Amino acid sequence: MPSVRFDPKATFVRVPARIVGPKGVEWLGLALDTGSSRTVISEHVALRIGFNLLTAPSVRIATASGIVEARVVTPRQIFALGETADEFQVLVLPLPAQLRSDGLLGLDFLRRRNLFCNFGEGILLTLPFARNFLHRCQLVTHLFAAL
Amino acid sequence: MTGQKPEPIEEIRKRFKDEWLLIKVTKHDKNGFPIEGILLLHTADKQELHEAILNLREQGEMGELMSWFEGPLVPEGWEVILSAFSSL
Repeated sequence: MPSVRFDPKATFVRVPARIVGPKGVEWLGLALDTGSSRTVISEHVALRIGFNLLTAPSVRIATASGIVEARVVTPRQIFALGETADEFQVLVLPLPAQLRSDGLLGLDFLRRRNLFCNFGEGILLTLPFARNFLHRCQLVTHLFAAL
Repeated sequence: MTGQKPEPIEEIRKRFKDEWLLIKVTKHDKNGFPIEGILLLHTADKQELHEAILNLREQGEMGELMSWFEGPLVPEGWEVILSAFSSL
């Protein structure tokens, strides 16, 4: 089972993610954000992988500092934390240059698997949902081995 | 651009501090994570990184490109509040 190392002392938890757009594939660092209902990528990334933001639909979103408008695009695939999601809608927002990350990995992606975090060691692990008792036992074995 | 031969990404990351790295990924581990690549650019300027990737795509580069900041995730003295809520 894939686990991901992160810096437990960093300002936020950053995880590598691969995003596949119409014109390219990029690996990015996304901030793991369980407070965000949606996964977000920066405008720069959206442009680089081939999306036209002028024609993309928009949606209003609430943030901690107010209401803003975001574009919606659908990358062909996103891969992060061992999980692959095809045709996965994400929001596009301008992100400040001071944020050394290219987006947020939100709850809509995270809730596709169980997420385990060891803040002491800086290890993230995701496991599929257990299908039955035997499967649950196998997953627990992986969990203890990884964390 | 500093294009050379592929090398372990961990080794590339150790050489730089407080810079964005642009790496062309050439090899993955068994879980699909990038482990080897060619360093194409290192810069403290995020805009320069963005323009370099756009130029590469315009030139027909279709490979996997990795952009990664090596160093603190925000400048010293800054804090971060993230999160976005949408009912889409």
